[in-house]
Amino acid sequence: MIDRLLETARRKVANADALWRREEQTAVAFEAGRLKAAGISEEAGVNLRVLAGGRMGVAGTTSAAPDPEELVTRARASAELGESVELAFPTVAASQLPPIPTFFDRTANASLDDLIRLGKGLVERLERPGCQVNVSVEREIADTAVGNSAGARGAYRGTGIAVAADVTRIAGDDVLMIYDHYVGADMPGDADLEALVRSIETRLTAALTVVAPPDGALPVVFTPAGLAAVVLPLEQALSGKTVLQGSSPLAGKVGEMLFDERLSIVDDPLTPGRPASRPIDDECVPSRATGLVERGRVGRFVYDLETAARAQTQSTGNGQRGFFGKPRIGYTNIFFRMSADGPRDTASTALLGGGLIGDLDDGLVVDDLIGVGQGNVISGVFSHPVGLAYRVQRGEITGRVKDAAVAGNAYDLLKKIGGFGTDGRWLGARWSPSLLLEGVSVARR
Amino acid sequence: MKDRLAAAVQQSRADYTEIRVERTWSSSVAFRGRRLETATVSEDQGGFVRALNKGYGWGIASFTSLDELPGMVRRANELSRAVRLDEPIRLADTAPQVADAALDLDGDVRGISLADKKSLLETYNGAMLAVSNAIVDTQSSYRDEVSEVWYVNSEGTALYQLRPEVVVSGTAIGRRNGTIEKGLESIGLRKGWRSVQAFEDRFRVTAQRAVDLLDAPRVRGGSYPVILDNELAGVFIHEAFGHLSEADFVYENPQAREMMTLGRRFGKPVLNAGDNGAERGLRGTLPYDDEGTPTQDTPLIREGILVGRLHSRETAAKLGERPTGNARAISFRHPPIVRMTNTYIAPGNAGVGFQDLISDLKLGVYACGAFGGQTMLENFSFTAGWGYMIRDGHVAELVKDVVLAGNLFQTLDRIDHIAGDFTWNQMGGGCGKGGQFPLPVTEGAPHVRIEAALIGGDV
Repeated sequence: MIDRLLETARRKVANADALWRREEQTAVAFEAGRLKAAGISEEAGVNLRVLAGGRMGVAGTTSAAPDPEELVTRARASAELGESVELAFPTVAASQLPPIPTFFDRTANASLDDLIRLGKGLVERLERPGCQVNVSVEREIADTAVGNSAGARGAYRGTGIAVAADVTRIAGDDVLMIYDHYVGADMPGDADLEALVRSIETRLTAALTVVAPPDGALPVVFTPAGLAAVVLPLEQALSGKTVLQGSSPLAGKVGEMLFDERLSIVDDPLTPGRPASRPIDDECVPSRATGLVERGRVGRFVYDLETAARAQTQSTGNGQRGFFGKPRIGYTNIFFRMSADGPRDTASTALLGGGLIGDLDDGLVVDDLIGVGQGNVISGVFSHPVGLAYRVQRGEITGRVKDAAVAGNAYDLLKKIGGFGTDGRWLGARWSPSLLLEGVSVARR
Repeated sequence: MKDRLAAAVQQSRADYTEIRVERTWSSSVAFRGRRLETATVSEDQGGFVRALNKGYGWGIASFTSLDELPGMVRRANELSRAVRLDEPIRLADTAPQVADAALDLDGDVRGISLADKKSLLETYNGAMLAVSNAIVDTQSSYRDEVSEVWYVNSEGTALYQLRPEVVVSGTAIGRRNGTIEKGLESIGLRKGWRSVQAFEDRFRVTAQRAVDLLDAPRVRGGSYPVILDNELAGVFIHEAFGHLSEADFVYENPQAREMMTLGRRFGKPVLNAGDNGAERGLRGTLPYDDEGTPTQDTPLIREGILVGRLHSRETAAKLGERPTGNARAISFRHPPIVRMTNTYIAPGNAGVGFQDLISDLKLGVYACGAFGGQTMLENFSFTAGWGYMIRDGHVAELVKDVVLAGNLFQTLDRIDHIAGDFTWNQMGGGCGKGGQFPLPVTEGAPHVRIEAALIGGDV
């Protein structure tokens, strides 16, 4: 498809690149402990970008038999209105790509019954009186092909599996919801499922007692899940796009020590076993890791081809595209690193607070905040009601707090990190431990 | 197309089969700062089959290749038969519907050139940029679509629906040194080209607010009497109560059913709320939902008391209630689940205005506009775009970072005053649930007063 499309494009325009993808998903859903539905989904589509008269245009379709002529005509019409840009299409050959396993036979070959059995086993381990358990298992197999008129080609096959579980406990007017998941390119092993069950159990047990929230400027342990509100501003500010637009507070600060010197953050598309890993990005740029924050200093911003051209730098291989619209910047696997030796062992994931609460006289463990991403994110300022949080008193968790709100500025809080937990884990496409941050504003009703 | 789907349904060996096919034509234009991001036309199309057998669960197939329809009908039946259930799934009875329902296109977007759409958005984007040098960045987008949806099921329903949509949004980023503020304007309508003209002023005001917020103090955290403007009050009822009214949250959970027993008091007698998918001309409006059930006005709270909830055919059957036309899917890629449409707080007495709500307040917060909201059912957030302190019965200084922390049982019951100045607030974006985002919905409300609500911030 890619070759035919680029061939057609080359007769009409100066340069072009394209992505073709076919995805096949199989999913089973357990509702209130019962298997309720099984489904498949198949989708294929193509996205074409052209440079015509120095201007960029795009067109996409999910049509089963796309007409290359029609697609090129549509992309050219788009280019007529487009901005001038000098894109340098990479010329990498498929044989030069970094080796990274993206396809796992066990995942691809798992039958519907295997997926049902996996979900059922999880339901049985999570069920308890007064609680409702929902579990979903989703397996994906995707074929991706990218190419451009400079001759670059890349193709790979990937697998992914997501196992998600949530437990809802309603007692009188108290609603408690606890959620966790496993996401990987390979099927979860017994240890992964055990970790998932224990993670939910630990947080559920500690939440059964409800205590009054504290207030004031307090030490707060943000768990890997709770950390989202603190990480999101950095992700936005480290995007080459916001830097170009002048809206990133980190623009012009490369090399400056703005964070705790023990903190490093890497975007790594070559992490084994992760569904976001791939040998090549969606614009034919070979994958490589990018140091976003390096021992407390602002490292490199991430770019796709267009923003790199405008910033007169190189793409970091962070071009992502769907079937519709143009490529844009996207992260792959975000990795928090405290030292050069990579992730620590994950034996203590079930320990709530990651071993950071022992010295806290009064504070919180925040595992989930409500409304993350809504608000003035890039400014670093956040303010959210707690979804799931625990009070810490004299070094111990005393119970769950409700009706409290935490607020702070992500950039300020990360200047001095009180401690890194021993509970590092993957959550979606981010690996991090818990972080102890000082002076977080906690308000209560 | 209907005949083709009806023939495929007839071939199905399942006890119940439904097929939905969609073909969506859309165009979009986006600016970032002064620069055009894209101007493009897209075509998306695909199908969805759902099958159900007695003693078994749902079998589902979605696909982009319509040639495979007969095969997908067979797959859905096989998948259903792979899901054994002790307690059968039942669907509430609905009368079969046969209709062609084309909503008013109000200026068919397919007949307008991409250049004209770019020019319109350039005007709005330019209006934001022209406000001040402090506006360092903008994100503006125009998106329209015309979606054709065919729906056929094995009970005799056969529908064709033509659904238009148009959304114009703008974000203005103001910056002075290290301080960054944002203004957000969004207009989303189930209409066409004619309905999105002449909004320059709204975008200008939005950008000016981003500049004004640069000098505004952050609101102090704590509990305050809070007045919600129409827009935020709409987001509030959506998050605070709308999601809990979706029966898929309660239908399989005895404790949740007890908590949400019809007849329970949730608010003072001033509070009336509902969801109306049949209201004419709104973004959440549809003649039929994605199970072919006609939409309707469903009262949820009457004089403070829970009187109804939102249903699919499955949840209605389970609870012995009637389907309400709230089974919706964002596209052929997803099954229909229980969703809101146009959710509202009904107006109070006609004579009551904003001034009446604040005149007796010594200290309070007037929370305006909406950056969003999210619920975890008992607790929820709703994020204002900006706010003002209220001092001694008057609107005082502008404040920022106004995020409210709501509690279902406390916050609803503390609504003590509702104005008569109802408006529908039709924004872009939409509602997210179960991986389906953004679903077009609308919220409507007058000014609403909450006696005491928690606002996050430094204390």
